[in-house]
Amino acid sequence: MTRAIRAALVAVTATLLPAASPADTIKVGVVAPFSGPFAIYGKQYQEAVETYVAQHGTTAGEHEIEFIYKDVGGPNPDQSRALAQELLIRDQVDYLAGFTFTPNALAVGPLIEQSQTPTVIFNAATSSINKESEFYLRTSYTLWQVSAPLAEWAYDQGMRTVATTVTDYGPGIDAENAFKAAFEAKGGEVVDAIRMPLATTDFTPFIQRVRDAAPDAVFTFLPGGPPTFTYTKTYNENGLAEAGIKFLGTAETEEVNLQGLGDAAIGLTTAYHYSGAHDSDENRAFQAKLTELFPDAIANWASVGAYDGTHLIYQMVAAAGTDGPAAVEAAKTLEWESPRGPVKMDPETRTLIQNVYIREVARDEATGQLVNRETGVIATVGDLGWDK
Amino acid sequence: MMNRIAPFALLALAVALYFALPYNLAFLTRILIMAVLVLSLDLVLGFAGIATLGQAAFYGAGAYAAGLFAIHAWADPIAGLVVAGVAGAVLAFISGLIVLRAHGLTLIMLTIAVAAICHEIANKARDVTGGADGLRGIRMEPVLGLFEFDFVGQTGFWYALAVLAAVFTFLTLLTRAPFGLSLRGIHESPERMAAIGTSVYWRRVAAYTLGGAIAGVAGALSAQVTQLVSLESFSFTLSAEALIMLILGGTGRLYGAVLGTLVFMFVHHWAAANDPFNWLFVIGALVLAVVFFLPRGLVAVPTALKRLGGQNAGS
Repeated sequence: MTRAIRAALVAVTATLLPAASPADTIKVGVVAPFSGPFAIYGKQYQEAVETYVAQHGTTAGEHEIEFIYKDVGGPNPDQSRALAQELLIRDQVDYLAGFTFTPNALAVGPLIEQSQTPTVIFNAATSSINKESEFYLRTSYTLWQVSAPLAEWAYDQGMRTVATTVTDYGPGIDAENAFKAAFEAKGGEVVDAIRMPLATTDFTPFIQRVRDAAPDAVFTFLPGGPPTFTYTKTYNENGLAEAGIKFLGTAETEEVNLQGLGDAAIGLTTAYHYSGAHDSDENRAFQAKLTELFPDAIANWASVGAYDGTHLIYQMVAAAGTDGPAAVEAAKTLEWESPRGPVKMDPETRTLIQNVYIREVARDEATGQLVNRETGVIATVGDLGWDK
Repeated sequence: MMNRIAPFALLALAVALYFALPYNLAFLTRILIMAVLVLSLDLVLGFAGIATLGQAAFYGAGAYAAGLFAIHAWADPIAGLVVAGVAGAVLAFISGLIVLRAHGLTLIMLTIAVAAICHEIANKARDVTGGADGLRGIRMEPVLGLFEFDFVGQTGFWYALAVLAAVFTFLTLLTRAPFGLSLRGIHESPERMAAIGTSVYWRRVAAYTLGGAIAGVAGALSAQVTQLVSLESFSFTLSAEALIMLILGGTGRLYGAVLGTLVFMFVHHWAAANDPFNWLFVIGALVLAVVFFLPRGLVAVPTALKRLGGQNAGS
């Protein structure tokens, strides 16, 4: 009896006492959705972070690095701010990371400004976030960065008239504005700008309207998942491809949902900064490690944003430890070879300067899977939306 | 007796939590703000018996009103609360005139529709509200000109606690006043209240408007503490969560509303912190358990225990 009690006491004390750790552990708080309809983002981030850690170890320079994950649920700035506050005050983190939605990223602005905490955005793609604080750094992309080069490329391919169909919410409108500005600057004409409600399930009326307008191409921006699937299906069923109306998109054919689109997706043209089929050793090494750790994992833009974000944090920690302003300074000149291709931190916008690739969905002969086949680099640009 | 001790016990608990969890003030402040919202719902649903799933409409209206007022007019927190309260009340009055003509499921659908319309307006009016990016640039002046909002969140906590205590006191007085009693009467039997000469419709509109004002105040607190307002303040999820907290605590009792909020938010926080990936199961199990075993909410725990004890003694 007494032995049992003693054993229990030992067990309790062992769990209560902080685990013996090296004197210098730098903590990184990751705020992302891990539950609910957006949980896929959290999953992609976590897998990518752990892949990076497995490849490069838990030390950067002379410091141990530890990641703490917090679930924000979805677009919820109140929660995002409260979690960041808790991470900064109680867990004493020196870096923040994650942030899928723009409001969640914006909500921590006043906090990181006061506490001088470098904050690496893995996804949120609105240009103006980085203007709110010097301590924001972004390893994803911005909507202008991919939409504007696509418009210019389309013009250079001889397309003169385009209809835009975007989902009627913040990012959709940004994409429409970016595409329109770039396409009209070249001398092209946007014949119809259609905004579709977020809850649309039947795209036939919109597609029919595009068909009647008979432009050279249709530019679209949709949130990932089911809408993309239905949209591309409707695009095919209404014979737009046969009518010579080319499909121009960005993230619609992202890897996680790509197989679900089926053969209907073959031939869709998109401009984007990362393809799972990118031909480089870095990408192959990343994907090999990822699938070794998580057999079901599929790398997409969210994974690569988190992977490069982790790289950035390791570099900052190695260069400046816990000194926030020095870490941001050090990050501003970084260049590295990412799984997406060569990238460089733009010192002004603190968003990556990277290649935008033009891709076409094709079926890979070797694996039988659908892939985004890169057919060329159309631009190497930073955040084009910074001054807009 | 119980009624007199309970509010003070809750106040003491809030102060104790402040000292027990000095690093979680942001989280505690969110509980306080949610408690104000759930109290407003308790007035509307628990007392007046108006089934609503759209309380977020007034919360959001208050949040945007307080945010816009702080940015464009005056950044004083108390003035912001008043403006938000008025905004919530006006919206509740106008929408209440229409939706309260309906009953049952139709009423629920209409309240959801009001919140959805507000959400869409805020989404479309990007120039004013910031759309999906959220309304930013809210910088508050010190509370009463004395207490600056600090990084750790001490001012935010005491400020929210003071507002919660004020709302709680107001509602306690209200529910004991003739108006509150007439609401209870309407809840029990609208026909009989009409028969004794009460204008049931207008009493309900008045309760709905008051509930809107209090929800607006809750929204304002959130806008002032977070310094950002997003479209999510109009979301259906918020209305639904507030309802779950109220049912958890027990409808028709003010301390039930506070208790439900406290328990829900704590379990949520604790479960999400321990397992950020599967914590929703815990919340689901908790709600199921309460609905099955304590249909009248957590405030019914003493009564349930007493009954259980009585049965044991009898057998």
